[in-house]
Amino acid sequence: MEVQPGEAVALLGANGAGKTTLLRILATLLVPTKGHALLAGHDTEKEPAAVRKSLGYHAGSDLGFYARLSGRENLRFFGRLNHLQGADLEGKIQKFAKRFGLEGVIDRQVRTLSSGTVQRLSLLRAILHEPTVLLLDEPTRSLDAIAAAEFRHFLKSEVLAQRRASVLFASHTLPEIEFLADRVAILHDGKILAIDSPAALQKAYGCGSLEEVFLRVTGRNVSFSEEAHPA
Amino acid sequence: MRRALRDFFLFFLRDLRIAATYRSPFVFEIIQALLGATMLYYVARFVDSPELREALPQGRSYFTYSLVGFIFFDYLNEAMDTFDRSLLEARDTRTLEPLLVSQIPLSLILAGSAMYPFVATTMRIAVYIAWGAILFGFPLGSANWLSVVVVLLATLLAFSALGILSAAHLLLFKRGNPLKWMILGLSSVIGGMLFPVDILPHWLQIIAKVNPVTYALDAMRRALLDGTSVVGVGRPLLVLVGFGVVALPTSIAVFTWALRRTKITGTLTHS
Repeated sequence: MEVQPGEAVALLGANGAGKTTLLRILATLLVPTKGHALLAGHDTEKEPAAVRKSLGYHAGSDLGFYARLSGRENLRFFGRLNHLQGADLEGKIQKFAKRFGLEGVIDRQVRTLSSGTVQRLSLLRAILHEPTVLLLDEPTRSLDAIAAAEFRHFLKSEVLAQRRASVLFASHTLPEIEFLADRVAILHDGKILAIDSPAALQKAYGCGSLEEVFLRVTGRNVSFSEEAHPA
Repeated sequence: MRRALRDFFLFFLRDLRIAATYRSPFVFEIIQALLGATMLYYVARFVDSPELREALPQGRSYFTYSLVGFIFFDYLNEAMDTFDRSLLEARDTRTLEPLLVSQIPLSLILAGSAMYPFVATTMRIAVYIAWGAILFGFPLGSANWLSVVVVLLATLLAFSALGILSAAHLLLFKRGNPLKWMILGLSSVIGGMLFPVDILPHWLQIIAKVNPVTYALDAMRRALLDGTSVVGVGRPLLVLVGFGVVALPTSIAVFTWALRRTKITGTLTHS
Protein backbone atom coordinates (compact mmCIF):
# COMPACT_ATOMS: atom_id res chain seq x y z
CA MET A 1 0.00 0.00 0.00
CA GLU A 2 1.37 3.41 -0.98
CA VAL A 3 0.08 6.94 -0.58
CA GLN A 4 1.15 9.39 -3.27
CA PRO A 5 1.77 13.13 -2.89
CA GLY A 6 -1.54 14.99 -3.02
CA GLU A 7 -3.45 11.78 -2.28
CA ALA A 8 -5.69 11.02 0.70
CA VAL A 9 -6.17 7.40 1.72
CA ALA A 10 -8.74 6.48 4.35
CA LEU A 11 -8.41 3.57 6.73
CA LEU A 12 -11.79 2.02 7.36
CA GLY A 13 -12.34 -0.79 9.81
CA ALA A 14 -14.16 -1.88 12.93
CA ASN A 15 -12.71 -1.15 16.36
CA GLY A 16 -9.54 -3.19 16.79
CA ALA A 17 -9.03 -3.71 13.05
CA GLY A 18 -5.58 -2.13 13.20
CA LYS A 19 -6.12 1.42 11.91
CA THR A 20 -4.52 3.17 14.86
CA THR A 21 -1.77 0.56 15.04
CA LEU A 22 -0.87 1.21 11.41
CA LEU A 23 -0.81 4.97 11.97
CA ARG A 24 1.31 4.56 15.10
CA ILE A 25 3.79 2.34 13.25
CA LEU A 26 4.13 5.03 10.58
CA ALA A 27 4.53 7.67 13.28
CA THR A 28 7.46 5.64 14.74
CA LEU A 29 5.55 5.07 17.98
CA LEU A 30 5.32 1.33 17.39
CA VAL A 31 7.71 -1.16 15.84
CA PRO A 32 6.09 -3.57 13.39
CA THR A 33 6.23 -7.21 14.48
CA LYS A 34 6.43 -8.24 10.81
CA GLY A 35 7.27 -6.46 7.56
CA HIS A 36 8.31 -2.85 7.29
CA ALA A 37 6.91 0.58 6.59
CA LEU A 38 8.42 3.51 4.75
CA LEU A 39 7.45 7.13 5.17
CA ALA A 40 8.86 9.71 2.75
CA GLY A 41 11.24 6.96 1.60
CA HIS A 42 12.61 6.22 5.08
CA ASP A 43 12.18 3.04 7.07
CA THR A 44 10.14 3.82 10.19
CA GLU A 45 12.11 1.36 12.28
CA LYS A 46 15.65 2.02 11.02
CA GLU A 47 15.47 5.76 10.29
CA PRO A 48 12.88 7.17 12.70
CA ALA A 49 14.57 10.59 12.90
CA ALA A 50 14.40 11.01 9.10
CA VAL A 51 10.77 9.86 9.13
CA ARG A 52 9.81 12.44 11.75
CA LYS A 53 11.16 15.28 9.61
CA SER A 54 8.34 14.75 7.13
CA LEU A 55 5.65 13.80 9.58
CA GLY A 56 2.60 15.48 11.05
CA TYR A 57 0.64 13.28 13.45
CA HIS A 58 -2.70 13.73 15.14
CA ALA A 59 -3.56 11.03 17.66
CA GLY A 60 -7.17 10.07 18.01
CA SER A 61 -7.49 10.20 21.77
CA ASP A 62 -4.17 11.14 23.39
CA LEU A 63 -4.16 14.80 22.38
CA GLY A 64 -1.47 15.75 24.89
CA PHE A 65 -1.07 19.40 25.80
CA TYR A 66 0.30 21.16 28.86
CA ALA A 67 -2.91 22.10 30.59
CA ARG A 68 -1.52 25.11 32.47
CA LEU A 69 0.01 26.69 29.37
CA SER A 70 -2.05 28.57 26.81
CA GLY A 71 -2.82 27.16 23.40
CA ARG A 72 -0.32 29.56 21.87
CA GLU A 73 2.44 28.61 24.34
CA ASN A 74 1.82 24.94 23.61
CA LEU A 75 1.96 25.53 19.86
CA ARG A 76 5.15 27.57 20.23
CA PHE A 77 6.76 24.75 22.21
CA PHE A 78 5.79 21.98 19.80
CA GLY A 79 6.51 24.20 16.78
CA ARG A 80 10.04 24.78 18.07
CA LEU A 81 10.45 21.04 18.59
CA ASN A 82 9.86 20.81 14.84
CA HIS A 83 12.46 23.50 14.19
CA LEU A 84 10.13 26.40 13.53
CA GLN A 85 11.14 29.67 15.11
CA GLY A 86 10.78 33.42 15.25
CA ALA A 87 8.49 35.27 12.90
CA ASP A 88 7.91 32.16 10.80
CA LEU A 89 6.53 30.27 13.80
CA GLU A 90 4.43 33.18 15.06
CA GLY A 91 3.07 33.83 11.58
CA LYS A 92 2.06 30.21 11.10
CA ILE A 93 0.37 30.03 14.50
CA GLN A 94 -1.56 33.19 13.68
CA LYS A 95 -2.50 32.03 10.18
CA PHE A 96 -3.70 28.59 11.20
CA ALA A 97 -5.41 29.81 14.38
CA LYS A 98 -7.48 32.11 12.20
CA ARG A 99 -8.15 29.34 9.69
CA PHE A 100 -9.24 26.96 12.49
CA GLY A 101 -11.37 29.53 14.31
CA LEU A 102 -9.09 29.52 17.36
CA GLU A 103 -8.23 33.22 17.45
CA GLY A 104 -10.45 34.01 20.41
CA VAL A 105 -9.27 31.14 22.61
CA ILE A 106 -5.65 30.53 21.70
CA ASP A 107 -4.32 32.61 24.59
CA ARG A 108 -6.37 30.77 27.19
CA GLN A 109 -4.92 27.96 29.29
CA VAL A 110 -5.63 24.62 27.63
CA ARG A 111 -7.32 23.32 30.78
CA THR A 112 -10.11 25.85 30.22
CA LEU A 113 -10.81 24.77 26.63
CA SER A 114 -13.55 22.41 25.43
CA SER A 115 -12.64 19.00 24.02
CA GLY A 116 -13.55 20.14 20.52
CA THR A 117 -11.25 23.16 20.80
CA VAL A 118 -8.40 20.99 22.09
CA GLN A 119 -9.03 18.70 19.12
CA ARG A 120 -8.66 21.67 16.74
CA LEU A 121 -5.50 22.68 18.58
CA SER A 122 -4.12 19.18 18.08
CA LEU A 123 -4.93 19.27 14.36
CA LEU A 124 -3.24 22.67 14.15
CA ARG A 125 -0.17 21.26 15.87
CA ALA A 126 -0.01 18.41 13.35
CA ILE A 127 0.02 20.75 10.35
CA LEU A 128 1.91 23.70 11.89
CA HIS A 129 5.29 22.79 10.38
CA GLU A 130 3.61 21.95 7.07
CA PRO A 131 4.72 18.33 6.87
CA THR A 132 4.69 16.43 3.60
CA VAL A 133 2.94 13.46 5.20
CA LEU A 134 -0.06 13.79 7.51
CA LEU A 135 -1.28 10.93 9.67
CA LEU A 136 -4.66 11.65 11.21
CA ASP A 137 -6.46 9.32 13.57
CA GLU A 138 -10.16 10.20 13.61
CA PRO A 139 -9.46 13.88 12.88
CA THR A 140 -13.00 15.14 13.35
CA ARG A 141 -13.96 12.92 16.29
CA SER A 142 -14.89 15.64 18.82
CA LEU A 143 -15.60 18.45 16.40
CA ASP A 144 -19.03 19.94 15.86
CA ALA A 145 -20.53 19.63 12.37
CA ILE A 146 -19.37 23.06 11.23
CA ALA A 147 -15.80 22.71 12.50
CA ALA A 148 -15.59 19.21 10.99
CA ALA A 149 -16.79 20.46 7.59
CA GLU A 150 -14.36 23.37 7.69
CA PHE A 151 -11.47 21.08 8.52
CA ARG A 152 -12.35 18.67 5.71
CA HIS A 153 -12.45 21.57 3.23
CA PHE A 154 -9.13 22.86 4.56
CA LEU A 155 -7.55 19.45 4.08
CA LYS A 156 -8.90 19.05 0.60
CA SER A 157 -8.16 22.52 -0.75
CA GLU A 158 -4.96 23.50 1.04
CA VAL A 159 -3.17 20.40 2.28
CA LEU A 160 -3.96 18.05 -0.59
CA ALA A 161 -4.56 20.29 -3.62
CA GLN A 162 -2.16 23.17 -2.92
CA ARG A 163 0.62 21.66 -0.84
CA ARG A 164 0.36 18.16 -2.37
CA ALA A 165 0.90 16.48 1.00
CA SER A 166 0.11 12.79 1.45
CA VAL A 167 -2.69 12.17 3.92
CA LEU A 168 -3.49 8.86 5.59
CA PHE A 169 -6.41 9.03 7.95
CA ALA A 170 -8.58 6.72 9.98
CA SER A 171 -12.25 7.47 10.28
CA HIS A 172 -15.58 5.87 11.09
CA THR A 173 -17.49 8.66 9.36
CA LEU A 174 -18.39 7.39 5.91
CA PRO A 175 -19.45 10.75 4.39
CA GLU A 176 -16.08 12.12 5.53
CA ILE A 177 -14.27 9.26 3.82
CA GLU A 178 -16.32 9.70 0.64
CA PHE A 179 -15.59 13.44 0.63
CA LEU A 180 -11.87 13.27 1.34
CA ALA A 181 -10.45 9.93 0.29
CA ASP A 182 -9.06 9.20 -3.13
CA ARG A 183 -8.79 5.61 -1.99
CA VAL A 184 -10.14 3.58 0.91
CA ALA A 185 -8.30 0.71 2.60
CA ILE A 186 -10.66 -1.65 4.40
CA LEU A 187 -8.94 -3.28 7.36
CA HIS A 188 -9.96 -6.34 9.31
CA ASP A 189 -7.88 -8.18 11.92
CA GLY A 190 -4.74 -6.28 10.97
CA LYS A 191 -5.04 -7.05 7.25
CA ILE A 192 -6.00 -4.88 4.32
CA LEU A 193 -8.87 -6.73 2.65
CA ALA A 194 -9.55 -4.22 -0.10
CA ILE A 195 -8.13 -0.94 -1.31
CA ASP A 196 -9.43 1.29 -4.09
CA SER A 197 -11.42 4.44 -4.73
CA PRO A 198 -14.89 4.49 -3.13
CA ALA A 199 -16.54 4.33 -6.57
CA ALA A 200 -14.33 1.48 -7.76
CA LEU A 201 -15.01 -0.51 -4.58
CA GLN A 202 -18.76 -0.07 -4.96
CA LYS A 203 -18.52 -1.22 -8.55
CA ALA A 204 -16.28 -4.17 -7.78
CA TYR A 205 -18.53 -5.46 -5.01
CA GLY A 206 -21.80 -4.52 -6.70
CA CYS A 207 -22.88 -2.33 -3.81
CA GLY A 208 -24.84 0.91 -3.69
CA SER A 209 -22.83 2.50 -0.87
CA LEU A 210 -19.47 2.39 0.87
CA GLU A 211 -21.21 1.11 3.98
CA GLU A 212 -22.46 -1.93 2.06
CA VAL A 213 -18.98 -2.52 0.66
CA PHE A 214 -17.49 -2.39 4.14
CA LEU A 215 -20.05 -4.85 5.54
CA ARG A 216 -19.62 -7.23 2.61
CA VAL A 217 -15.80 -7.14 2.60
CA THR A 218 -15.56 -7.70 6.36
CA GLY A 219 -18.31 -10.37 6.30
CA ARG A 220 -20.53 -8.48 8.71
CA ASN A 221 -24.30 -8.74 8.79
CA VAL A 222 -26.36 -6.01 10.33
CA SER A 223 -29.90 -6.95 11.22
CA PHE A 224 -32.47 -4.86 13.01
CA SER A 225 -35.29 -6.28 15.11
CA GLU A 226 -38.81 -4.90 14.88
CA GLU A 227 -38.61 -3.80 18.54
CA ALA A 228 -35.62 -1.65 17.84
CA HIS A 229 -37.48 0.18 15.09
CA PRO A 230 -41.06 0.66 16.19
CA ALA A 231 -43.38 1.98 13.52
CA MET B 1 25.45 22.24 18.55
CA ARG B 2 23.71 25.62 18.70
CA ARG B 3 20.42 24.03 17.73
CA ALA B 4 20.89 21.29 20.34
CA LEU B 5 21.49 23.92 23.01
CA ARG B 6 18.45 25.89 21.91
CA ASP B 7 16.30 22.74 21.93
CA PHE B 8 17.68 21.85 25.35
CA PHE B 9 16.59 25.22 26.77
CA LEU B 10 13.12 24.83 25.26
CA PHE B 11 12.32 22.27 27.93
CA PHE B 12 13.65 24.50 30.67
CA LEU B 13 11.48 27.41 29.48
CA ARG B 14 8.45 25.11 29.22
CA ASP B 15 8.87 23.94 32.81
CA LEU B 16 9.60 27.45 34.05
CA ARG B 17 6.40 28.73 32.44
CA ILE B 18 4.38 25.90 33.94
CA ALA B 19 5.96 26.47 37.37
CA ALA B 20 5.21 30.19 37.12
CA THR B 21 1.49 29.41 36.91
CA TYR B 22 1.75 28.09 40.48
CA ARG B 23 2.87 30.97 42.65
CA SER B 24 2.64 29.68 46.19
CA PRO B 25 5.04 26.69 45.97
CA PHE B 26 8.03 29.06 45.66
CA VAL B 27 7.04 30.65 48.96
CA PHE B 28 6.50 27.24 50.56
CA GLU B 29 9.95 26.10 49.42
CA ILE B 30 11.61 29.11 51.04
CA ILE B 31 9.76 28.41 54.29
CA GLN B 32 10.54 24.68 54.02
CA ALA B 33 14.26 25.48 53.62
CA LEU B 34 14.14 27.74 56.66
CA LEU B 35 12.49 25.04 58.74
CA GLY B 36 14.97 22.40 57.49
CA ALA B 37 18.00 24.55 58.30
CA THR B 38 16.54 25.44 61.72
CA MET B 39 15.86 21.79 62.55
CA LEU B 40 19.42 20.80 61.63
CA TYR B 41 20.83 23.68 63.67
CA TYR B 42 19.03 22.66 66.84
CA VAL B 43 19.79 18.97 66.38
CA ALA B 44 23.45 20.00 65.96
CA ARG B 45 23.32 22.15 69.10
CA PHE B 46 21.82 19.25 71.00
CA VAL B 47 24.50 16.72 69.98
CA ASP B 48 27.52 19.03 69.50
CA SER B 49 30.53 18.46 71.74
CA PRO B 50 34.32 18.90 71.47
CA GLU B 51 34.67 15.12 71.00
CA LEU B 52 32.20 15.15 68.13
CA ARG B 53 33.95 18.06 66.44
CA GLU B 54 37.21 16.19 66.68
CA ALA B 55 35.65 13.12 65.13
CA LEU B 56 34.25 14.98 62.12
CA PRO B 57 36.67 15.10 59.17
CA GLN B 58 35.91 18.54 57.76
CA GLY B 59 33.07 19.83 59.87
CA ARG B 60 33.88 22.79 61.99
CA SER B 61 30.61 22.00 63.68
CA TYR B 62 28.06 19.25 63.37
CA PHE B 63 25.64 21.80 61.87
CA THR B 64 27.86 22.52 58.84
CA TYR B 65 28.65 18.82 58.46
CA SER B 66 25.02 17.72 58.52
CA LEU B 67 23.77 20.63 56.38
CA VAL B 68 26.16 19.68 53.56
CA GLY B 69 25.05 16.05 53.88
CA PHE B 70 21.44 17.07 53.84
CA ILE B 71 21.63 19.31 50.76
CA PHE B 72 23.81 16.82 48.94
CA PHE B 73 21.14 14.17 49.34
CA ASP B 74 18.60 16.60 47.95
CA TYR B 75 20.70 16.66 44.76
CA LEU B 76 21.18 12.93 44.75
CA ASN B 77 17.47 12.41 45.15
CA GLU B 78 16.78 14.83 42.29
CA ALA B 79 19.30 13.15 39.98
CA MET B 80 17.72 9.76 40.60
CA ASP B 81 14.13 10.94 40.57
CA THR B 82 13.90 13.53 37.84
CA PHE B 83 13.86 11.27 34.79
CA ASP B 84 11.09 8.93 35.84
CA ARG B 85 9.12 11.89 37.19
CA SER B 86 9.42 13.63 33.80
CA LEU B 87 8.35 10.43 32.11
CA LEU B 88 5.38 10.04 34.45
CA GLU B 89 4.33 13.65 33.85
CA ALA B 90 4.58 13.19 30.08
CA ARG B 91 2.50 10.04 30.37
CA ASP B 92 -0.10 11.66 32.61
CA THR B 93 -0.40 14.80 30.49
CA ARG B 94 -0.40 12.56 27.39
CA THR B 95 2.39 14.63 25.88
CA LEU B 96 4.76 11.68 25.58
CA GLU B 97 3.59 10.78 22.06
CA PRO B 98 3.64 14.34 20.69
CA LEU B 99 7.15 14.66 22.09
CA LEU B 100 8.29 11.39 20.57
CA VAL B 101 6.99 12.22 17.08
CA SER B 102 8.76 15.60 17.10
CA GLN B 103 12.16 16.15 15.52
CA ILE B 104 14.00 16.30 18.83
CA PRO B 105 16.11 13.24 19.70
CA LEU B 106 15.12 11.29 22.77
CA SER B 107 18.41 11.99 24.55
CA LEU B 108 17.71 15.72 24.29
CA ILE B 109 14.15 15.29 25.53
CA LEU B 110 15.49 13.42 28.57
CA ALA B 111 18.29 15.88 29.28
CA GLY B 112 16.12 18.92 28.62
CA SER B 113 13.35 17.68 30.89
CA ALA B 114 15.87 17.26 33.71
CA MET B 115 17.19 20.80 33.49
CA TYR B 116 14.47 22.69 35.30
CA PRO B 117 14.29 20.26 38.25
CA PHE B 118 18.07 20.54 38.69
CA VAL B 119 17.96 24.33 38.54
CA ALA B 120 15.02 24.37 40.97
CA THR B 121 16.93 22.07 43.34
CA THR B 122 19.97 24.34 43.10
CA MET B 123 17.80 27.33 44.01
CA ARG B 124 16.29 25.43 46.92
CA ILE B 125 19.74 24.46 48.15
CA ALA B 126 20.97 28.02 47.76
CA VAL B 127 18.10 29.08 50.00
CA TYR B 128 19.06 26.38 52.54
CA ILE B 129 22.65 27.60 52.57
CA ALA B 130 21.55 31.23 52.73
CA TRP B 131 19.39 30.55 55.78
CA GLY B 132 22.25 28.59 57.31
CA ALA B 133 24.68 31.44 56.70
CA ILE B 134 22.37 34.28 57.76
CA LEU B 135 20.92 32.72 60.88
CA PHE B 136 23.31 30.01 62.03
CA GLY B 137 26.81 30.97 60.90
CA PHE B 138 27.34 28.52 58.04
CA PRO B 139 30.89 29.41 56.82
CA LEU B 140 30.21 30.57 53.27
CA GLY B 141 33.53 32.37 53.01
CA SER B 142 35.61 29.20 53.20
CA ALA B 143 34.15 27.54 50.10
CA ASN B 144 35.98 27.08 46.83
CA TRP B 145 33.01 27.67 44.52
CA LEU B 146 34.73 26.44 41.39
CA SER B 147 35.38 23.11 43.11
CA VAL B 148 31.80 23.06 44.39
CA VAL B 149 30.41 23.51 40.87
CA VAL B 150 32.76 20.89 39.38
CA VAL B 151 31.91 18.35 42.10
CA LEU B 152 28.22 19.07 41.65
CA LEU B 153 28.37 18.55 37.88
CA ALA B 154 30.33 15.33 38.29
CA THR B 155 27.77 14.15 40.85
CA LEU B 156 24.86 14.93 38.53
CA LEU B 157 26.61 13.21 35.63
CA ALA B 158 27.29 10.09 37.68
CA PHE B 159 23.94 9.75 39.40
CA SER B 160 21.77 10.79 36.48
CA ALA B 161 22.71 7.41 35.04
CA LEU B 162 20.87 5.75 37.92
CA GLY B 163 17.92 8.06 37.29
CA ILE B 164 17.82 7.07 33.61
CA LEU B 165 17.95 3.39 34.59
CA SER B 166 15.06 4.05 36.91
CA ALA B 167 13.12 5.65 34.04
CA ALA B 168 13.82 2.56 31.92
CA HIS B 169 12.38 0.43 34.73
CA LEU B 170 9.29 2.65 34.77
CA LEU B 171 8.86 2.27 31.01
CA LEU B 172 9.05 -1.51 31.21
CA PHE B 173 7.20 -2.26 34.42
CA LYS B 174 5.02 0.87 34.79
CA ARG B 175 6.07 1.22 38.40
CA GLY B 176 8.80 3.21 40.16
CA ASN B 177 12.08 1.46 40.64
CA PRO B 178 12.39 0.03 44.17
CA LEU B 179 16.15 -0.24 43.64
CA LYS B 180 16.34 3.56 43.51
CA TRP B 181 14.92 3.87 47.03
CA MET B 182 17.23 1.12 48.23
CA ILE B 183 20.28 2.94 46.82
CA LEU B 184 19.16 6.22 48.38
CA GLY B 185 18.40 4.57 51.72
CA LEU B 186 21.65 2.62 51.74
CA SER B 187 23.64 5.70 50.77
CA SER B 188 22.11 7.71 53.59
CA VAL B 189 23.49 5.09 55.99
CA ILE B 190 26.85 4.27 54.41
CA GLY B 191 27.44 7.40 52.30
CA GLY B 192 28.32 9.71 55.18
CA MET B 193 25.21 11.87 55.06
CA LEU B 194 24.86 12.63 58.77
CA PHE B 195 27.88 10.86 60.28
CA PRO B 196 31.35 9.87 59.09
CA VAL B 197 31.68 6.38 57.63
CA ASP B 198 34.67 5.75 59.94
CA ILE B 199 32.31 4.99 62.81
CA LEU B 200 30.63 2.16 60.87
CA PRO B 201 31.57 -1.52 61.35
CA HIS B 202 34.50 -2.58 59.19
CA TRP B 203 32.42 -4.55 56.69
CA LEU B 204 30.11 -1.57 56.11
CA GLN B 205 33.13 0.66 55.60
CA ILE B 206 34.24 -1.66 52.80
CA ILE B 207 30.84 -1.24 51.11
CA ALA B 208 31.06 2.52 51.67
CA LYS B 209 34.41 2.57 49.85
CA VAL B 210 32.87 1.14 46.69
CA ASN B 211 29.87 3.46 46.90
CA PRO B 212 30.36 6.55 44.67
CA VAL B 213 28.09 8.54 47.00
CA THR B 214 30.81 8.43 49.68
CA TYR B 215 33.31 10.00 47.28
CA ALA B 216 30.86 12.63 46.04
CA LEU B 217 29.97 13.70 49.55
CA ASP B 218 33.58 13.74 50.67
CA ALA B 219 34.53 15.92 47.70
CA MET B 220 31.58 18.24 48.29
CA ARG B 221 32.46 18.75 51.96
CA ARG B 222 36.09 19.40 51.14
CA ALA B 223 35.16 21.96 48.46
CA LEU B 224 32.46 23.66 50.49
CA LEU B 225 33.89 23.59 53.99
CA ASP B 226 37.67 23.42 53.49
CA GLY B 227 37.89 25.40 50.26
CA THR B 228 39.83 22.59 48.59
CA SER B 229 40.75 23.24 44.95
CA VAL B 230 39.66 21.11 41.99
CA VAL B 231 43.07 19.43 42.00
CA GLY B 232 42.71 18.77 45.71
CA VAL B 233 39.48 16.84 45.17
CA GLY B 234 40.98 15.09 42.14
CA ARG B 235 40.76 11.55 43.48
CA PRO B 236 37.07 11.51 44.45
CA LEU B 237 36.34 13.46 41.26
CA LEU B 238 38.06 10.81 39.18
CA VAL B 239 36.00 8.09 40.86
CA LEU B 240 32.80 10.03 40.11
CA VAL B 241 33.70 10.80 36.51
CA GLY B 242 34.81 7.19 35.97
CA PHE B 243 31.51 5.95 37.35
CA GLY B 244 29.61 8.40 35.12
CA VAL B 245 31.57 7.53 31.99
CA VAL B 246 30.65 3.87 32.39
CA ALA B 247 27.16 4.27 33.83
CA LEU B 248 25.75 7.05 31.65
CA PRO B 249 26.14 5.42 28.20
CA THR B 250 25.01 2.12 29.72
CA SER B 251 21.88 3.71 31.16
CA ILE B 252 21.06 5.47 27.85
CA ALA B 253 21.50 2.15 26.01
CA VAL B 254 19.21 0.40 28.50
CA PHE B 255 16.63 3.19 28.24
CA THR B 256 16.73 3.05 24.41
CA TRP B 257 16.26 -0.71 24.58
CA ALA B 258 13.36 -0.34 27.04
CA LEU B 259 11.72 2.24 24.78
CA ARG B 260 12.03 -0.09 21.82
CA ARG B 261 10.50 -2.93 23.87
CA THR B 262 7.49 -0.77 24.69
CA LYS B 263 7.19 0.17 21.02
CA ILE B 264 7.11 -3.52 20.12
CA THR B 265 4.64 -4.45 22.85
CA GLY B 266 2.55 -1.31 22.31
CA THR B 267 2.71 -0.34 25.98
CA LEU B 268 4.47 3.00 25.62
CA THR B 269 1.64 5.09 27.01
CA HIS B 270 0.17 2.46 29.33
CA SER B 271 0.13 3.21 33.03
